[in-house]
Amino acid sequence: MAGPGGGSSDVQWCFSQVKGAIDDDVAEADIISTVEFNHTGELLATGDKGGRVVIFQQEPESKNQPQCRGEYNVYSTFQSHEPEFDYLKSLEIEEKINKIRWLPQKNAAQFLLSTNDKTIKLWKISERDKRPEGYNLKEEDGRYRDPNTVTALRVPIFRPMDLMVEASPRRVFANAHTYHINSIAVNSDYETYLSADDLRINLWHLEITDRSFNIVDIKPANMEELTEVITAAEFHPNQCNTFVYSSSKGTIRMCDMRASALCDKHAKMFEEPEDPNNRSFFSEIISSISDVKFSHSGRYMMTRDYLSVKIWDLNMETRPVETYQVHEYLRSKLCSLYENDCIFDKFECCWNGNDSVVMTGSYNNFFRMFDRGYRQDVTLEASRENSKPRSVLKPRKVSTGGKRKKDEISVDSLDFNKKILHTAWHPLDNIIAVATTNNLYIFQEKLN
Amino acid sequence: MLGRGVKRKWSCLEEAEVVSEAAEDKQQDEDEDGQDGLLDPSRSDASRLQQRQLVLGLCLEKLQRYHAGVELSLRRSVLLINTLRQIQEEMRSDGVGGCDVHPDSCLLRDDFREDATVTCPGCSEGEAPPELSSQEADGSEQQKPETVSAVGYLGDLALDDIFEDIDTSMYETSDLPSAWASGPLWPLSVSLWPDEDVKLRPQSHSTAGSLQSCLMDLNELDHIMEILVKS
Repeated sequence: MAGPGGGSSDVQWCFSQVKGAIDDDVAEADIISTVEFNHTGELLATGDKGGRVVIFQQEPESKNQPQCRGEYNVYSTFQSHEPEFDYLKSLEIEEKINKIRWLPQKNAAQFLLSTNDKTIKLWKISERDKRPEGYNLKEEDGRYRDPNTVTALRVPIFRPMDLMVEASPRRVFANAHTYHINSIAVNSDYETYLSADDLRINLWHLEITDRSFNIVDIKPANMEELTEVITAAEFHPNQCNTFVYSSSKGTIRMCDMRASALCDKHAKMFEEPEDPNNRSFFSEIISSISDVKFSHSGRYMMTRDYLSVKIWDLNMETRPVETYQVHEYLRSKLCSLYENDCIFDKFECCWNGNDSVVMTGSYNNFFRMFDRGYRQDVTLEASRENSKPRSVLKPRKVSTGGKRKKDEISVDSLDFNKKILHTAWHPLDNIIAVATTNNLYIFQEKLN
Repeated sequence: MLGRGVKRKWSCLEEAEVVSEAAEDKQQDEDEDGQDGLLDPSRSDASRLQQRQLVLGLCLEKLQRYHAGVELSLRRSVLLINTLRQIQEEMRSDGVGGCDVHPDSCLLRDDFREDATVTCPGCSEGEAPPELSSQEADGSEQQKPETVSAVGYLGDLALDDIFEDIDTSMYETSDLPSAWASGPLWPLSVSLWPDEDVKLRPQSHSTAGSLQSCLMDLNELDHIMEILVKS
């Protein structure tokens, strides 16, 4: 029953750490815009609205405290993107980091791709813990010695130094997107990756920055006919020829790059027919898919729309195999959420390591987990009030009826300013990273 | 829209709910039977119409919103326009204003066009037209002319042959409202979605080589701009 990635029936979540400023006054640059674990889970990267990337590294498990998995501490911080100005349109290009994707580790250094609305960058993060000393022609401080003063020669040697982590941009992939980039995805061949904006998807080779292949283009000849945009895209985890992209109309198209150079004709289209009982003015807006993620196995994919999470079997296009309601109590409030723009919020979703549980965020700093096997779900909260070390998180409940039970929160009391849009699950263990507006919470499974 | 750093909790939900509730209450007052609204089809229709008016108003208000120097989200704009079109379709099929006429011909009627410009006086100043606010406030029993003009300027969405002669190449931006500000007619000028990369290439199917050459053009343009700005 128990074990890594086990069902929520037996997993209890504990607070582990929180990163970020404590004050309520949120600096806009500190707003977290993306969270991503690397392939081993040792590194956790966050991007923010100010264009910065912060990488946390997990400390090795200590023998003194076998109950706890290692803590995450800051490993590297760097400015990935700067604000730019588009002279043609007289518009600012935001430096906000939309997505970070790690490359699998090939050598001592780590590599990640980070993107803002227009430009993707490949960053190399490397460690330096030794430095050469004993040059013949240079002093220790770097000044050059007069060769005439050199009387003896010595061989420079490497001496240990304090660990220094350096981040350097190795590639800049620019000028290929007219519209705003919403997704990047690394292919399983580890040589290519895709970048998707509202209307187009481009395929890049990691080594080549001056050209890319356009593989999807949904821009109509007459822009007035535009009714649908691309909202997310991802490569299949095992099949390097397959990718999917989702749309603002609630459809997912799967494409095979072997079929043709331009994948405008999909191989499969996944769409669930609309429930006529739930039809409203907001039906299309809430059907817009904000995130799509393949399961680790590659058999399923998950989509997130405004009110629900859907699991699709890649062999069945007509409807999802599982649907989970994230916050159905908001359905009667759609008009208000439209008025205050919350209906346009884009929530992400993620799988746990063995694809048995899925997680997504909600409002009031709540986040939800759905156990696919045990058919159970839980609502938890990321807040400073529940942040005593190793304190177990208590499940939360939103009351929908007239009578509100003790410890429940009524829908009208929810804080729609506190939204959890970005969450990430460690690829191997039950460790999760949950981003509130400007804080990053790390929760771990309670180990006895 | 939630202002940055402004805390709006449940009160923001309450405001919008109050509007639709007030509309429902008004209908209830006029309902002689005084029956429970859910069972009365005419009452639920009325509240649906109320909501439709509210959403229509909000749509237009959101589409007009303009943040200087920041590009609008295309996804958001597409969703707003689609909602607007859906409402327009519904109003047409409901035979709003009792006119069973195709929206194109609605617009072509001279008297109607007069109406449109007269009832939208604040276009150049960018003010919200008083026409719209009165529509939001009043109930569905509002007189026909106002609802007809609502269909009319929504009909503007589909008609671009009237504006054929207007040269919009100067105004091409990805930002909808700035395109409108330059156009003479409220609320929407010719290009809903100004073709951003018309300067790049007319064809959308590009090979790696052609993409490369248009990337080079862009780089050159950037380079020239830098020189101009520095000098």
